[in-house]
Amino acid sequence: MSIIYSILTVIITVLICFIISTLLPGIERKYVHARIQQRIGPPVTTPGIMAPLKFMFKENVEVSSPVPSLYKVLPIICFIVVTCILVALTPQAYKIPALASLVAIVGFLKVEEICYVLMGALSKSVMSVKMPFPDLVKGAEHINATRSFIEDISARRSLRMITYGSFPLYLSLFAPVTAARSIFLSDIVTYQQTHGPFLFTVAGGLAAIVFFIGYMIILNEYPFSIIKAKSDVIEGPYMEYASKYRAIVYITRGFFMFVLGAIFSVLFIGIPPNIFSWGILLNIGVALIFVFMMGIFSAFTPVFTNRQLLPTILSSTLLGILAVILGLL
Amino acid sequence: MDEKVPRSKIIETEIPMGTVHPAALEPYRVRLFVEDEIVQEAEITIGVNHRGIERIMEGLPVEKANALTEKICGICSNAHIWNSCRTAEIGWDIEIPERAVYIRVIMGELERLHSHFLYLAHGCEVLAHETFSMRIFYMREIVMELLAMIGGNRVQYGCSVLGGVRPRCDLDDKRIQRIKDDLDKLEEELTNFAERFTADSILLSRVTGIGVIPQKQALKLAVTGPTLRATGVARDLRTTMFEYDNFDFNVITQPDGDVKSNLLMRALESFESIKIIRQAIANIPEGKVVNKAWDMFDTDIVESYIEVPRGTLYHSYALESGRVRHSVIRTPSMSNIGAMQYACIGDQITDAQLCIVQCDPCFTCSDRAIEIIRR
Repeated sequence: MSIIYSILTVIITVLICFIISTLLPGIERKYVHARIQQRIGPPVTTPGIMAPLKFMFKENVEVSSPVPSLYKVLPIICFIVVTCILVALTPQAYKIPALASLVAIVGFLKVEEICYVLMGALSKSVMSVKMPFPDLVKGAEHINATRSFIEDISARRSLRMITYGSFPLYLSLFAPVTAARSIFLSDIVTYQQTHGPFLFTVAGGLAAIVFFIGYMIILNEYPFSIIKAKSDVIEGPYMEYASKYRAIVYITRGFFMFVLGAIFSVLFIGIPPNIFSWGILLNIGVALIFVFMMGIFSAFTPVFTNRQLLPTILSSTLLGILAVILGLL
Repeated sequence: MDEKVPRSKIIETEIPMGTVHPAALEPYRVRLFVEDEIVQEAEITIGVNHRGIERIMEGLPVEKANALTEKICGICSNAHIWNSCRTAEIGWDIEIPERAVYIRVIMGELERLHSHFLYLAHGCEVLAHETFSMRIFYMREIVMELLAMIGGNRVQYGCSVLGGVRPRCDLDDKRIQRIKDDLDKLEEELTNFAERFTADSILLSRVTGIGVIPQKQALKLAVTGPTLRATGVARDLRTTMFEYDNFDFNVITQPDGDVKSNLLMRALESFESIKIIRQAIANIPEGKVVNKAWDMFDTDIVESYIEVPRGTLYHSYALESGRVRHSVIRTPSMSNIGAMQYACIGDQITDAQLCIVQCDPCFTCSDRAIEIIRR
């Protein structure tokens, strides 16, 4: 009976969180970006609900990719991965050994990142090499140069982000571990319920800043959106997605925003998402605060190139290391 | 740095972009030859929007041909009709009423303002700074409304005609008062924006030292307009145009030739344009706005150069029986394309579109060369 109750609780929690998450992109665009830019902005339901619904019923165009089936399945994998992270964060899942530790969360996040690399590598849109334009006409320089799709740049950048770009995020995830002296989520939550939220310690404060930077990096939000910068790679890995696949991309983004907020709630405040607890309100609140902060930060910064990105990542990594050291002390 | 030299031997891969790209508002193809995301050489090709306007103009009455030149560009439409009328006026020795000259200058400077604001907004958009971009577009809106008030349209005003300006573009006291009020508002907003822009260290780090065009190279490539002045060369055709004889203004220059210099160049030139318009409305003479007493006669090729927002605009006419026998138009972007290619060298791919945009391209206007392919 208790197993069924737990499964039902997890399902309802995930469903409610998912429904709330569909409003987050709209809140970011309507109440942050549009307000800062003094324009009306889209209706709050458009980016996260109406746009995916609309795309869901659009006619699909065949993707231009060497492995179309894999390319099309990647957004679904991303959605499943994000759902798995949320499931792992619920208190009911702490009893499942495979999901009970921070390693599972990190693993899922890495899968998400690897999906971006694959998407970029598998997208071969008309926006670059395939554009029907006579490049190699008489007088053209470098006729025999190796030609690359702009999505290939995106894939290479995603790979770079896996190797060092997302390092601050993972450092900040392990900062609470240093205080709780355990990588198990249940221990981290219990420790904070006994000693107070990790966020309100010096190490926790520093780690929270690093987490926020990592949050923006993994969400590919301006100014860290080098894998889908409009100035060169345009939509990058998502370029070829249309109709229902694009709808899934949109839905996943909103859901991922919520789930990252939930990770923060669990690791830094000690409140896991549970529909039958008032703590769920705090989870929603944290998700909203992150959305507002991200919206404000992205509205006032230009997209970073490697020149700005590397020092930012380096300094936030150092800050993360400092948080870990302070946590250990 | 004297000149930028393409490093053709270390090309790793080629990244083609366009002719459709969201960072570029114009249809052009750029082939970026890169090594580890650093551009070693760039090649820009245009030619997808050739309309053959000069050919269409041949045989048309001059008035119709003048109206057609306005369709060359949506941004500097006034500059084209102004210069085409000016060319015919030089050819037929038509005297322009002083009031009409002032109105032409006001329209020209308002157009410069809206072009420069578009440039700044586009630059910020390519930088992905949408907030600044929106803020500039709001300022531009003031100018667009003023242009609509005088010309009747937000683009394609049809202001200049042979012998002066259209009577509907004449400025009464009410219009002059509105221009005064709006310029005050615009100047205040532009000052606030410039202060905010120059205080933003993140933004400055994205534009400083990026897309440098060395002065020597700019002169060699015959770069014109604000892009040339941003390399430190004080060359502005307005100082030689008789229309600007009664106006006091400074030729703005910037030292570095990079994106920052180009952006600041446009912002500072906008203040000068506001200054010129203020002088014009303060001293605008009374009298008629169009001279209809002139004769048509056949001419050899007549040329006219004027300073438009993006550089030097060239028009030429050969007139016969009141019709155009021959016409050549050369827009500023034509000579700035070379600079765009060199500007990218040594910068990251993410900056490449920014380096091109900093030269204020208007490829649609430049797309007029006819390529003859022999088979």
